[in-house]
Formats: sequence, structure tokens, C-alpha cells
Amino acid sequence: MDAVVANIAPQILFAPLLGCLLIAFVGPRLPRSVSAVIGCTSVFAAFALTVGLAAHVWHLPVAAQRIDLQFGTWALVGQAHIGFGIWIDPLALTWMLVITGVGFLIHLYSVGYMGHDANYRTFFAHMNLFVFSMLLLVMSDGFLWLLVGWGGVGLASYLLIGFYYDRQSAVLAARKALIMNVIGDVGIMIAIFLMFAHVGDQSFAVVFARTGAFGTSALDWIGIWLLVGAVAKSAQLPLHTWLPDAMEGPTPVSALIHAATMVTAGVYLVARCHPIYDRAPAAAEAVAIVGAASALFAATIGCVQYDIKRVLAYSTMSQIGYMFLAVGIGAYTAGAFHFLTHAFFKALLFMAAGIVIHNLGGEQDIRKMGGLSKRMPFAFWTFLAGTLAIAGVPPFSGFFSKDSILDQAAALGHPWLFAVGVAAAALTAFYMFRLFFSTFAGEYRGSVEPHVERVPAMEIPVAILAVLATIGGFLVLPGHDTFSALLAGAFPDAILPLSLADFDWPLVLGTLMIVAAAIVTAYAMYVISPQLRADVSRRLGGLRLLLLDAYHVDAIYHLMFEVPAYALAQACGVFFERAVIAGVPQALAAATSALGGLSRGWETGYLRRYGLTIAIGASLLLYFVIFGLHDVGAR
Amino acid sequence: MTALFAACAAVLVLSAIGVVVSRHPVHSVVGLIVNFAALAVLFLTLSAEFLAMIQIIIYAGAILVLFLFVIALLTVGSDPIERTANKLPEQAGQAVIAGLVALGFIAWGIQADWTPAAAKAAPDLGTVGTFGVQLLTTHVFAFEATGFVLLVAIIGVVMMAGRRETGARS
Amino acid sequence: MPLIPLDDYLVLSAAMFVIGLIGFLVRRNPLTMLMAVELMWNAGNLVLAAFARNFSDMSGQVFVFVVITVAAAEAAIALAIVVMVFRRRPDVDVDDISVLRG
Repeated sequence: MDAVVANIAPQILFAPLLGCLLIAFVGPRLPRSVSAVIGCTSVFAAFALTVGLAAHVWHLPVAAQRIDLQFGTWALVGQAHIGFGIWIDPLALTWMLVITGVGFLIHLYSVGYMGHDANYRTFFAHMNLFVFSMLLLVMSDGFLWLLVGWGGVGLASYLLIGFYYDRQSAVLAARKALIMNVIGDVGIMIAIFLMFAHVGDQSFAVVFARTGAFGTSALDWIGIWLLVGAVAKSAQLPLHTWLPDAMEGPTPVSALIHAATMVTAGVYLVARCHPIYDRAPAAAEAVAIVGAASALFAATIGCVQYDIKRVLAYSTMSQIGYMFLAVGIGAYTAGAFHFLTHAFFKALLFMAAGIVIHNLGGEQDIRKMGGLSKRMPFAFWTFLAGTLAIAGVPPFSGFFSKDSILDQAAALGHPWLFAVGVAAAALTAFYMFRLFFSTFAGEYRGSVEPHVERVPAMEIPVAILAVLATIGGFLVLPGHDTFSALLAGAFPDAILPLSLADFDWPLVLGTLMIVAAAIVTAYAMYVISPQLRADVSRRLGGLRLLLLDAYHVDAIYHLMFEVPAYALAQACGVFFERAVIAGVPQALAAATSALGGLSRGWETGYLRRYGLTIAIGASLLLYFVIFGLHDVGAR
Repeated sequence: MTALFAACAAVLVLSAIGVVVSRHPVHSVVGLIVNFAALAVLFLTLSAEFLAMIQIIIYAGAILVLFLFVIALLTVGSDPIERTANKLPEQAGQAVIAGLVALGFIAWGIQADWTPAAAKAAPDLGTVGTFGVQLLTTHVFAFEATGFVLLVAIIGVVMMAGRRETGARS
Repeated sequence: MPLIPLDDYLVLSAAMFVIGLIGFLVRRNPLTMLMAVELMWNAGNLVLAAFARNFSDMSGQVFVFVVITVAAAEAAIALAIVVMVFRRRPDVDVDDISVLRG
């Protein structure tokens, strides 16, 4: 056991939990600013420790970078041993750095953004709870603790989506997210049951070492059930409908949970389980197809939505689709790389959008924005950096990560996935610049004059993220694949050790041309000629309506699940509830009452009547005793 | 001996009936005294000398005197006889039937063969000496238990009867 | 001395017990009822003493001693209750105390 890791890792894990408990139990007695200080400090401490840990681990030889710490026994069930353990490797470290680093920046941002909210302390307590749960998820040494963290982030997500609990839409969105996530939790549980059935253990070490003992069919099933969990948590098809609704939560929540970290847990799960997916081709294929379909599906919807946060939510779903595509085809480092850059630029986009929303007094409809580049130059420049990054324009970070995924798809022989990826990239560029131009270009279309206030606590984190979103891609440069080298320790047995630095230049340039065309189209439609936009809208009227309602998925689910469930409940309410649940006790009560009516005439309250009753009872007793006596008396 | 038993039995039953049917409680007490005296004689025929003594001393001497005191206490100014209307007129018939049924069961029950397996000669059965030895050796626990029962009874009576009446009770 | 058969005692005891029982159930004067109870106690005592002789076992007689003690305690408490309940009532009738009616 590595002493340094054994000392630092638990501190990283429990610092946010300590912060959460302090805010929850001590915070109410202290000034409200103290809660914010505790929240930010605990996450920053976790970040600093993570940096130290990462420096330590990355100085170890590659073969020693996977560290499995065991702290004791949690449960012994039959032959199954479940321990308290922490599993540190470069993959976990990547996620930990983002969770604590970006998490700290978003905490800092929240100090300004949530400054006027009455439930300021609650917010920070929940945010810290989230950071703890997410760290538990990525630091777990087995599937059970992973599931605990998995449920914990679901809970934190539920609490924070429903943070404005006096709004019915927020409460409904929170409930929807929770239910969808529970479907995924059940999927992971089934996968764990299958692992127990085949190898009798759930720890990564045992399960991954004995993948040979499963057989391909069982591995495929485990992969599929894990995918169910990943799909629910990462808002991929067909369990994606909760993510757009989750934008009811405060914007920092959207940035941290529903863009940067929690929704990428599915990617982490698949990458973590690469020994399974490497040997389960059907399940891996399913992951890639789900990812590609989600990427394209969400990108099309993003083209027509009017709510700035909803567009960003669909783009999140689309970008996570890319990551699924990558990990599905075995390009785990490419998926992790896109996770990293996405965390930078998507958190940046949400927080820049948050500044806009904040200054417009809560307005989120882009039809009522426009012309904000002069009024809010800071938001303008940072949002531009994020938009360029997500659109994949060099040298911004999204270019490197997205291109490495497309490169790998092409190189590993998945032409269809590559084509879908390029199409989604073009759509991404289009809808992001549509969003950008609608918000910042042209004339201001809103009725309320923007109230611009510059809050340093909000602008500093956004500025840092803007820098990171700009230069974060330089971890992979032509000929220098730093990122793969960093992650080498996590994938020692990866079957496809492809370098991300092998740029396929014709392909890259072709993709760039398409992206440039998409940006130009957006410029033409939203800046130069509103007439063109109106024409296109008219031509594609039916399609536009379909996309505006997100392919009617909510309505379809409503018809498929809710309507039958309500009908069943109604039927049960009428037949079962009234006839059985209510009927049986009522009949029993009536029978008891009737019996009581028969005997109550005897109960007069007169002492002598009681005496007579006793005499009768004693006589009966005597009768039975005598029968017994005569049996004995026949001796 | 048989004649003595027959006489005692007759006195016992008749006095018992007298206890039950007398209208005035004092008459009942007198009947009970006669009854207990006959019972003491019957105890003697069963060679239970000590029991015969305490039957007279405790029962006739103590308990019945207690009854007499209570009668005297309650009947200051009025006769303690049943003068109010009987609220349970059917009770008498039911009680007689229940009693006869119980008698039938008992009669049926006592027809078993009660011959002891091995007849023991015990000439000093029931003398004060034997009784005392038994009470303080084999049955010492029962002896202590009776003491405790009496203690509880004394406390209970003191608690109930010794309480000052409050105005709330009618 | 010729012994009286056990059955005679038992029959006599049964008769006395049933007289006491019927008396308890029929009479309304609490004092008479208590005396009927005393009859039943003593019927039981007679049986115990008879069996003690029949089996030449002192336990029966010791039990009579216990029963007499308990009877004394019972009589004392019951009379205390009677005194309390009927201290101010001109007519002593147990049917007047029927507040326990369900």
C-alpha cells in the first residue's frame, strides 16, 4: 500500500463531506458568508490534495499507477467480501481533477450567482454533498461503492434541480430526473448481481482479473446492463428526457452537475469497465451506437430550441454522445480527453450564459436577447471562446478532442459512426453559432433594460475556464500525445493503443470545411438575412415543430408508460381498493359489531351477572377437567 | 362414628341453607357459626386436629366477628335487608340451573377411584406438632407466602377504609 | 375406629359448595354474598382435608391453612370495599353498583 496515496486519498474524499456536514449543522448559527467560505474551502482543499496526489502518481512508473487501497471490511455475505476501498489510477485522477477543480470554480461562481438567494446555505451544502458523492463514485474500488456514489449524485442532482422548490416545474423536473436515474441504478444493480452470480465478487480487481470466467454472453449482458445505468445517468437515448428539464435548477448546478461532471459518469463507467467491454463486442457496439445516435439526435433538437439553457443541455447530451461513441469503439483515451475539454468549455458556456441570465433578470429566451456584445463584453468574449471550442475550431480545445474521436472512428473502421459524428459536428457548429449570434449579435429585442453588474466572484472562474477551454486541447498536439501518456496507466491492457496525435490531415481538413460551412450558414441566417431564416423555417415547418417538441419523446413516453400506469391505478382504485382493501376490513368490522350486538345484552354491569358468568365458565372448565380425569381414571 | 358424621352432615347442610336464605345478615352469621362448628367436628373425624382448632378460632372467632362489626357499622338507622326491587329477576332461575349443572359435573367427577396406591399408616396426622414441623420445613415457602398475603391485605384495607372521605364522592 | 368413606365427604362438600354458589348468585345483599363465598371456601377446605387423610399426606392440611389465610384476607378486603361503597347508602344492594356496565 502506497503510504502517500493511503494518506491523501481519504482526505480528498471526505473534505467535501465534512464541508457539507459543517454547513448543514453549524452553518445556520453563523453568518451566511461563512457557509460559502466552508463550501469553497473544502472543495479547494480537495482540489489541492488531488493535484498533489496526481503529481505523486504520475511520477510513479506506468505499471504502478493503478493503486488499490483496502481499508477494511464492510460486509461479509457468504463467500462474498465487500471492503472499504479506494482505487486510484490515471482515469480516476482525471475525473477527480475535473470534479474538484471545475467544482471549485463553480462553487466560487455560485458565491456571486446565488448571493441573493434565501437558501444560500442549503445550496452550498447540497453542492458539497454532490462533490462528495461524485468523488465516491470515481474513487470506489468496486461496483457496490460506485453504486452508492451513483445514487448519491442522483440524490444531489434531485435536490439541486428542485432547488427552487416553490416552482412546480422545478419539482416535477427533479422528480423526473430521479425516476429516470433510478431506472439506471436498477440496471447497474442487475449487472452487479450477474457479477456475483459468475465470480462471486464485485470489486474491480477481481471482476476485471476474471473476465475470462464469464463467457462472452454473460459479459455482453453485464455490459448492456451497465450501459442502461450509464445511459440514464448520462442522458443518452432513450433515457435522455430528464436532462433538458433539469435546467430548472440554478445555472451553477447546470454547469457542474448537468454539464461538467455527473452526466459524464456514464462515460467514466464504460471507460472504467474497459476490460469488460473489450471482451464484449456486442455491448461495446451498443455503447457506440447509442452515443452516435444521441449525438445526432440532440444536435438536431438543439437547432430549433429557444431557451438558452435548453440548447446547452441538448448540446451536452450531444457531446456526451461523442464520448460514448469514443469509449464504445475502444478509444477510451479519446473519450476521456473529450470529457476533459468538454468540462472546460461546457462549464464555461453555462456560466457565461448564467451571467447573461443574471443580468437580464432571469430571462432565458434567446428571442428576447440580441445585441448583448456591447452591453456585456465580458460574457461576449468568454461565450465566444466556449462556442469556438465546442464547434471544434482550432486551436480551441474542442477541436483536438472532437477530431481525435472522429479520427479514431475512421481509423478503427467505423465509417457510419464517423459519418454520424461529422454530421453532428456540423450541426453543433450551426446551433452553437445560432445561439451565439441570437444572443450577442444584432439589436436587443428584450423589453427590460439589462441591469449589468460585474461580480468578480463570477467573472474570475469564467475567465479561468475560458483560458482552459482555449488551451486545454494542447495536451494533444501533432506528434505529442501527452494525454495518452498520462492515461497509459489506466489502460495497460487496452486492445487498441492508438495515439491521439496521428492527425489524419485530409480528414481533419474536410471536417473543418464542413464546420466552417455550418458557421457561415448560421451567420447568414441569424446575422445577415432574417429573410433567409424565415424562408427556411417555412420550408421545414413540420420538421421544425417536430424538433421543437424534441421528437415528441415526452408525449410518447406519456402515452406508453404514464397513461397505462394511471389506467391501472384507476382500475386498482376502483376494483381492488374499494372491494378488497376497504371491503374486507369493513366486512370484518360489521361482523364483529354484529357478534358484539349478540353478546352485549349479557353485559349488564351487575356484579351478580359477572358471578354467574364465572360460574358457567368454571362449570365448563370442570367438564373438561373431568373428561381428562376419567381418561386417567381408567387406569 | 357414622352417626356423628351423619349428624354433622345434616347440621352442615341445613345451616348452609340457612345462611343463604336468611333475610337478615345477622341471621346468616349465626347460621355460619353453626356451620363452622359442624365443620370443625368433621375436621376432627378426619384427624385434622389443628385445622379444627383454627376453624373455630380464626373463622368463627375472627372473621365472623369482622362480619358482625361491618353489619353493625352499616345498619345504623336502617335494616340491611334487601328491600329494593330486584333488577335481575331471571337471575335466580339461571343461578339455580347453573348450580345444579355444576353439582352434576362434580358428582360425575368424584366417581373416580380414589384408593391410594400404598396405604400409609400415619397415626399422628394433623396434630399440632406434625403440622408445625410440616409448616416450618417442607411447606415453609407456603407459610411465608401466607404471611405476605396477610401483609398485603392489611395494607390494602388500611388504604381503603382509612381514607378520609372527600366531598366528591356521593 | 371405623373410617367414614371418602365419597361421603366429597358429596357433602359438593352440596355445601353448590349451596354457597347459588346463594352468591341469587342474593343481593353484599354481606350475605360474602358469607356464601365463605361457604364455598369451606367446602373446598373439607375436600382438601378429606384427601389429606385419604392419602395420608399432610400437604392437604397445610393447603387448608393457606386457604384459610387467603379467605381471611379476602374477607377483610371485601368488607372494606363494602364499607366504603355503602357507607352512605341506606339500602345495601349490589345491583346498585353497576357503573361498570359496558
